[in-house]
Amino acid sequence: MTAPTAARSFPVVETAVLRVAVAGNPNSGKSTLINSLAGTRLHVGNWPGVTVEKKEAALEHRGQRIALIDLPGTYSLSPYTEEEIIARDFLVHDRPDIIVDVVDATNLERNLYLTLQLLELGIPVIVALNIYDEAEKKGYKIDVKAMEAALGVTVVPTVATRKTGMNDLLEAVTGAIAKGSRSLPRSQSYGEDIEAAVKMLTAGIVDRHPALVERYPRRWLALKLMEGDRRVLAEANISGVDSLMKDAVGHLREAHGEDLESLMADARYSLAAGLTREVLQRPSVRKTEMTEKIDRVVLNRFLGIPIFFAAMWFVFKMTFDLSAPFADWLDGAINGPLTRWIEASTNLLHGPDWLVSLMTKGVIAGVGSVLVFVPVIFAMMFFITFLEGSGYMARAAFVMDRAMHSMGLHGKSFIPMILGFGCNVPAIYATRTLENPRDKALTALLIPLMSCGARLPVYILFVGAFFSAQSGTVLWSLYVMGIVLAVLMGILFKRTLFRGESPMFIMELPPYRMPSGRSLAIHTWEKGKHFLIKAGTYILAVSVLVWFLLNLPWGVENKKDSYLGKVGSAIAPVFAPLGFGNWEASSSLIAGVIAKEIVVGTMGEIYVRETEKKPEGPAPTFFEDLREIGTSFASAGREAFTNVISTVGITSLKAEEKEEEATLRSVVAKSFTPLSAYAFMAFVLLYMPCVVAAAAFKHEFGTWKWFGVAFVYQTILAWSVAFIVYQGGKLFGIGG
Amino acid sequence: MGIVDFVLIGLIVGGAFYLLYRSLWKKKGYCHGCDSAGKCK
Repeated sequence: MTAPTAARSFPVVETAVLRVAVAGNPNSGKSTLINSLAGTRLHVGNWPGVTVEKKEAALEHRGQRIALIDLPGTYSLSPYTEEEIIARDFLVHDRPDIIVDVVDATNLERNLYLTLQLLELGIPVIVALNIYDEAEKKGYKIDVKAMEAALGVTVVPTVATRKTGMNDLLEAVTGAIAKGSRSLPRSQSYGEDIEAAVKMLTAGIVDRHPALVERYPRRWLALKLMEGDRRVLAEANISGVDSLMKDAVGHLREAHGEDLESLMADARYSLAAGLTREVLQRPSVRKTEMTEKIDRVVLNRFLGIPIFFAAMWFVFKMTFDLSAPFADWLDGAINGPLTRWIEASTNLLHGPDWLVSLMTKGVIAGVGSVLVFVPVIFAMMFFITFLEGSGYMARAAFVMDRAMHSMGLHGKSFIPMILGFGCNVPAIYATRTLENPRDKALTALLIPLMSCGARLPVYILFVGAFFSAQSGTVLWSLYVMGIVLAVLMGILFKRTLFRGESPMFIMELPPYRMPSGRSLAIHTWEKGKHFLIKAGTYILAVSVLVWFLLNLPWGVENKKDSYLGKVGSAIAPVFAPLGFGNWEASSSLIAGVIAKEIVVGTMGEIYVRETEKKPEGPAPTFFEDLREIGTSFASAGREAFTNVISTVGITSLKAEEKEEEATLRSVVAKSFTPLSAYAFMAFVLLYMPCVVAAAAFKHEFGTWKWFGVAFVYQTILAWSVAFIVYQGGKLFGIGG
Repeated sequence: MGIVDFVLIGLIVGGAFYLLYRSLWKKKGYCHGCDSAGKCK
């Protein structure tokens, strides 16, 4: 690429690290571009609003250290949304050395609107013309040289998903700071009237408010004052009726009315449209694209919501069928060979009996019971990542818009809620994409009703024990229950705590894309690793503490007489009307307050003695164990393959076939009925958010108030729904 | 149960509480799911 034809150059900035801000419209591929450049794993998704705060990545090119700052996607630099304010404050106050403006080549005109605003900042800009391959596929011909000449900046065509153009982009970035070659972009003219006012304002600012010149880029400040930007006016302490303003923009107001912000927006849109006409040649005959064909069905007003629920059902069915054989395999490996190895190692080190018990019946039984579900979690995260990357999630928000309106929200609120299917914690943070504080609080209150991955181990345990023939459907029903209750609670909140009008929903629908294998692998891992970290930290810690609570007073014979047993017995009557009024279930629910997976871990510890079964004959050797693990893994792979390709009657986790294997599942099958099991799952779905979600509430809203509201309403809701399920089921003679 | 057992139990229980304190309280607001650096600003 040639160097920019633009204006003036100035000396190289003496900074050890070159600070490069990566800005652009939502879903233009900023995070993907940074991941491709720096090898990082920032969360990306084929839907707008994935990046809600600025993030950094570091790399080195030709000996130059570069810090890439990923700014939230924005359509403009106006001060109306959280993303715009974060991006703008960074660009104006932190002054990066260079801005890489990621422009979606398939949507040039809209993206150039932001580009024009970036050029106003007086910071060197390099345009990454991203998604260039799709633009070519559409038959678009973009004259890159003409674009460079018009904007006065370097333009580099890129395809971030395939790492195409990355080296050229880095060359342009480092080249821009090479001595004498760094240059500012050319100022774009918004017309004689506006430019005259800008000139007068700039001169006036230098003359009357010299301190402001140090704080803001001159032209940008003049434009913002002219637009009446309330943040800049407040920061700069210049009143809208200041004599300077009167002198400079008085005639503009007379000619165009008071709304100079709209005048500026029109000027930028006109310029962006003009530039697009200059550099872009569209095909004369426009084909109906695949995205449009799919959207005609997927966004149909009658079919949209049924298709969304069908897609969810398919995801749960596939998750279950694909992962269940591997969960069984892991269960066998953890409770068989791994337990034997740890027991043997502790004995070899002459560890006391209680330590052997702590390791096998505490740590292995507790953490192991949860780790068994790692394949299920990863399978679920894989499908969620696929839906995100494909562009379907944005459609899901769109089709849910009407339902969301009924509770005073709009479809954009559904995006954090969908994120909640992975983990409620990042979903609560994602509410910051919503402009209105009322929408933020209401959405955050509803997020814990979205069934996160942590509840999955509980469902899989009970579904495997009672509903193996309808596994996908039962699992799906729990997720749908969460969504339906979120809608109902939203309506209730709208009529009580959050009265007000629901705003309009304008959301960009990205084109459908096939996510790359690498992207799927990275983001599935990023989501799933959260689960592994939890297993290695607080699930491990709670398992150890639960073991002590089950064995204190020291040497207690019956676990019911232990401290945990006594607490569980004391509160068990509360759960009796729900069908699980035993101390084992109550104790597990108490421990599950830390994290929902711990419900399963605690059950594993409580029931471990009952599931204990000494093998007959001599114990297998280490190598026999290894061979067995390998063989059973291969069988699990075959079973998963058969499940996935099978079209009828898939049943996994066949509890009845494994009855002899005294697993946790078989003990649970004896302690609950199908009806009480479903009531228990509903309770786990709905009862209070976990401790980390509580911290997220406090962190995001700066108060415990909203967590308090969530705690109270969810506990009442969980008890009521479980009561209705159990007592209603009994009344109608279902599954008792 | 000897003194070694008590010391060992103390260490294990103390370690478990520290792990809980570190992962739930000290890093409150820590968010594994947000990005690779695990922080939400």
